[in-house]
Amino acid sequence: MADPIKLVLYVAGETPKSLAAIRNLEKICAEHLAGKYRVEVIDLKKSPQLAREHGIVAIPTLVKELPVPIRKIIGDLSDTPKVLVHLAVEESSS
Amino acid sequence: MTSAVSALSRAELEARLEEAEETLRAIREGEIDALVVRGADAEQVFTLEGGGQSYRTFMEAMDVGAAAFDHDGQLLYANQALCTLLDCPHGSLTAPALIALLDPVNQAAFQSLLAQAQQERQSAEIHLRVGNAERSMLLTGTPLEFGIVQGAAVTFTDISEREQAAAARESERLARAILASANEAVIVCDRAGHVTHLNGAAMRICAEAPVGKTFAEAIALGFPEASELMSSDDIVTMATAGLPVQGLEAAVRTPSAAITDVMISAAPLVVSGERTQGCVVTLVDLSQRKAAERHQSLLMGELDHRVKNTLTMVMAICARTAAHERTIEEFQKSFTGRIQALAATHTLLSNASWQNLQIRDVLAAELAPFASLSSGRILTEGLDIAVEAKMAVSLGLVFHELTTNAVKYGALSIPAGRISVRRIADGDEALTIEWREHDGPPVTPPQSSGFGQTLISRSLGSGGAKLEFSPAGVVCQISIPKS
Repeated sequence: MADPIKLVLYVAGETPKSLAAIRNLEKICAEHLAGKYRVEVIDLKKSPQLAREHGIVAIPTLVKELPVPIRKIIGDLSDTPKVLVHLAVEESSS
Repeated sequence: MTSAVSALSRAELEARLEEAEETLRAIREGEIDALVVRGADAEQVFTLEGGGQSYRTFMEAMDVGAAAFDHDGQLLYANQALCTLLDCPHGSLTAPALIALLDPVNQAAFQSLLAQAQQERQSAEIHLRVGNAERSMLLTGTPLEFGIVQGAAVTFTDISEREQAAAARESERLARAILASANEAVIVCDRAGHVTHLNGAAMRICAEAPVGKTFAEAIALGFPEASELMSSDDIVTMATAGLPVQGLEAAVRTPSAAITDVMISAAPLVVSGERTQGCVVTLVDLSQRKAAERHQSLLMGELDHRVKNTLTMVMAICARTAAHERTIEEFQKSFTGRIQALAATHTLLSNASWQNLQIRDVLAAELAPFASLSSGRILTEGLDIAVEAKMAVSLGLVFHELTTNAVKYGALSIPAGRISVRRIADGDEALTIEWREHDGPPVTPPQSSGFGQTLISRSLGSGGAKLEFSPAGVVCQISIPKS
């Protein structure tokens, strides 16, 4: 069994885009990555210093930590196909 | 910095460039709403919501429930008032949780409101269930920009109480309409027995301004059938104590009342729960029925009286006729004729319900076997005068005797004979009618005074009749006293 996809979503409290990104990621994970992912949500409002680890500039940003290579997807994740491409997850593989 | 960059591989540089371009694109297209800025000591996060915090602060200050939704209909924020209204912890409310409170019809209405509120101000009434209670809410949505995000702000106003108050008002209006529409008089009293409501029919039998007065003050009643031991207040006391009163007859003694007799029923007034709030008294108008009963009783008494009078008269006629007639056959003929005269007048009286009988009618009935008033032999004048029943009977007998005499010996004994019956005087106390025979055979006064003459002269009580056997024809002046 392959290692799970490890994702880190950086949000800024409850800004509309942060909320939208959380919602969209939940939907994508449920529909395309069932049982194959691990998500960590980091609120940079509470812990801004955590932005340094992945050099986060814009919020929300999703970082695919594993499998390498590390990829960043910037925005509210509303474009599902683009997110899937960046995560290198094909529909057929889900 | 330059050395750090130069140390990177081409692939890494391309990845960084791509990330930088992606960041710029996301900023340009409004996909992000916060930035991390590295300060001298630490990173800081700046949000691009603009007035984002201020709208939340504003919403929290509102008394009514308020929520912000983005263009996808997702809940961005719900204030404390809304969470309280929907009975959920602050911060835990989500769009799906809100939707779950609605049935399919109200879900559709809510979704429609949310979609339209993105464009323009929109209101809708939504019904939802909070715990065990049905709540009605008026939702008003308006377009709102949350920084770079377009959305809608929706306020939730609980109108359940307003609706309940409106329903209560409608119910009160209905109750008043029912009260007003009732044909019977309806009076409502409170527990202390004071009148609180009454309808138009009740107003007509009550004293002036009855509201606030005790029932007995509002309407004066007498209870003849209860030997006057009962009072109006007893009825109210019984009904308020939970003992219904049904079908009690009473006389109305309120001076201004248009009706005289009523049938009273009273029942306890229970508005809610089991406690009696007072009583409802209904009064059905019995005036007409009572008047009819009294009239009937009067008629029975009158009938009894008249039957006795008639029997007495029949016995007197029988005795007097027997004294004046020589043979059984003569007796039978005279007696039968006189009884028939009585019967004719009775028939007239009966047909006219013993009222408004005219002298002309009595005359016509007695002459009927021999001549009609329209035959040309009988001339009448001024006889359209009403006489009371007793006088009609006497007058009938007098006309019978005159007619019988005229048929035997006078104007009606030959075809050419005529009779005129006219009113010749009309005084304050009596009026006088003259019976005059013309063109009959010459008249000779009788040898002796028969019963006919006696009856004629005696039967009119305080009036009387003067009989004159003039050779040209019998003349009789009949004086009829006015009652």
